[in-house]
Amino acid sequence: MDAHVRRGAARRLSVDPGAADALGRAFGVEGDPSVREAILAALVRIGGVRAVEAVLPYLRSDDAALRTGALDVLKSLPESVECLPALLDDPDADLRVLAAEVARAMPNGAALLCRRLLHEHDPNVCAAALDVLAEIGGPDCLPSLQVCAERYVSEPFLRYAVATAVARIGGSQAPGS
Amino acid sequence: MTDRARRVLVVDDSALVRRWVRHVLEPAGFAIEEALNGIEALEKALGGGFDLIVVDVNMPRMDGMTFLRSLRRQPLPVGGTPALVASTENGPQDREAARRAGANFYLVKPLDEEILRSHVAALAGAPAWTP
Amino acid sequence: MAAASPRAATEEEFLKLCDFLYRHTGLALTPAKRYYVDRRLAERMEATGAGSFGSYFATLRADVGGEMELLVNSLTVNETYFYREDHQLRCLTSSLLDPVARRKRRGEPIRIWSVPCSTGEEPYSIAIWLLENWPAVDEFEIEILGSDIDTRALAAARDGSYGKRALSRLSPDLVGKYFDPAGEERWQIIEGLRNSIQLTQANLVDGAEMARHGRFDVVFCRNVLIYFDDASRRIAAGNLYDALLPGGYICLGHAESMSRISSLFEVVRTEEAIVYRRPEEKAHD
Repeated sequence: MDAHVRRGAARRLSVDPGAADALGRAFGVEGDPSVREAILAALVRIGGVRAVEAVLPYLRSDDAALRTGALDVLKSLPESVECLPALLDDPDADLRVLAAEVARAMPNGAALLCRRLLHEHDPNVCAAALDVLAEIGGPDCLPSLQVCAERYVSEPFLRYAVATAVARIGGSQAPGS
Repeated sequence: MTDRARRVLVVDDSALVRRWVRHVLEPAGFAIEEALNGIEALEKALGGGFDLIVVDVNMPRMDGMTFLRSLRRQPLPVGGTPALVASTENGPQDREAARRAGANFYLVKPLDEEILRSHVAALAGAPAWTP
Repeated sequence: MAAASPRAATEEEFLKLCDFLYRHTGLALTPAKRYYVDRRLAERMEATGAGSFGSYFATLRADVGGEMELLVNSLTVNETYFYREDHQLRCLTSSLLDPVARRKRRGEPIRIWSVPCSTGEEPYSIAIWLLENWPAVDEFEIEILGSDIDTRALAAARDGSYGKRALSRLSPDLVGKYFDPAGEERWQIIEGLRNSIQLTQANLVDGAEMARHGRFDVVFCRNVLIYFDDASRRIAAGNLYDALLPGGYICLGHAESMSRISSLFEVVRTEEAIVYRRPEEKAHD
């Protein structure tokens, strides 16, 4: 079947809330990027918890294109906030890195990331959280950043990242300035 | 051999990582340009003149592996630009995937200052990548 | 330190704004533009009643009242006039149209779409440019469409009357050739040219409405997607993909990058400009 037909099908399903599961399954096996895009657009349009659940498994995919496609949908849907705490506590650090990016788009994202930072021991998850907090964090994040700073005194990149985030939030001068 | 600054394209969706790489490499004499994902990296790389591309894996719109495959399909010299993948993942299958996509070298994040500097120095301007 | 005018943002706030705009739009504001950005930012803060950078940044992030568009507009020159971004017009005739033309069967038209076309400067510019600069212009039937969501802009485009400023990039020769004087400092596109451009209403995120226009060889879609949110960008990009023939080209505005919009198109770097191409269809799926 040609890609044009599959794109049209995805588009027509974008007005059918019951189609989220089917679209999610199709996303995983679809080989044509233009159809994958149409499926993601349809899932965003359908929205709601079913659309979130339809893409959630792909955050664990080995295929980077599927992971980042799923992430895009989650960032666009406010309902993602419901699964965010569980994602941020997932045993897989790679998943927590992606979860930090979902938090960027959620109204309570900063608070959830700060809570995570208090006991987060993976440097890459901390770095991802700091990147997001540098944009969305407020002064109430500073204690968590302090904890993070103390954990990584001997890790130059993390020290730099914490100092930059703190400066962006308005806590002090930037590193090296 | 000219003494122009060697140009490095840093491709990462994290502003902190891009700033860090700049912070490490600029004092070492490299000229840094930035891109946020694989598409922007292609837009810039196609202009030519980069001695090295440092590229992340997970990025929105176009990931690092897809970018490398597209880059390697370009005619020389652009298609042969040396590339260093910087990934949070450390499994043998991740390294193998990067190698097959066209990476010259693979570093695991977080990027250590000294390791980054020495690998960039060694790879920037290295001979064109070949399969 | 000399008494400088109070700044709208501290150094760190400026960097925070730079990172945010770069992430969302691809606009790269360098420290050299600090003074300029500061002034625009101060204007936007005053217009939105924001008492601090922090409260303005919250307004911007939530895009309250379309603030993203208002700020980006104030930071980029967004005037529309004839032969604006003429490097893309040069690119059209020196790099894009020849491969497009080679694929055409006898009698098959070359179709070019300016969407959004605003008050018509772009589709008329394309027509004039082709008449003046493309040697094969008489060998093909060329259809140029202009579409916009705004019916008032379309009415103005149909009327085709412009002031001095809009014509400032055109030589007197071209003005004499393609315009009739229409009163004090006004010129109107000659009737023959006005009748040769089709003008229609179209909304980039409305798939059915977009599909009614058929498929095109080249689409100019400038300075609009940069303002859309992520979900709308995805939908609009899908609609534009479907509006292009395989191998067809899309041109964005000079401050825009497809990298913030969609991965559907191939990046093509010509001597004059970066454009994007809908990939050729694979022989079989």
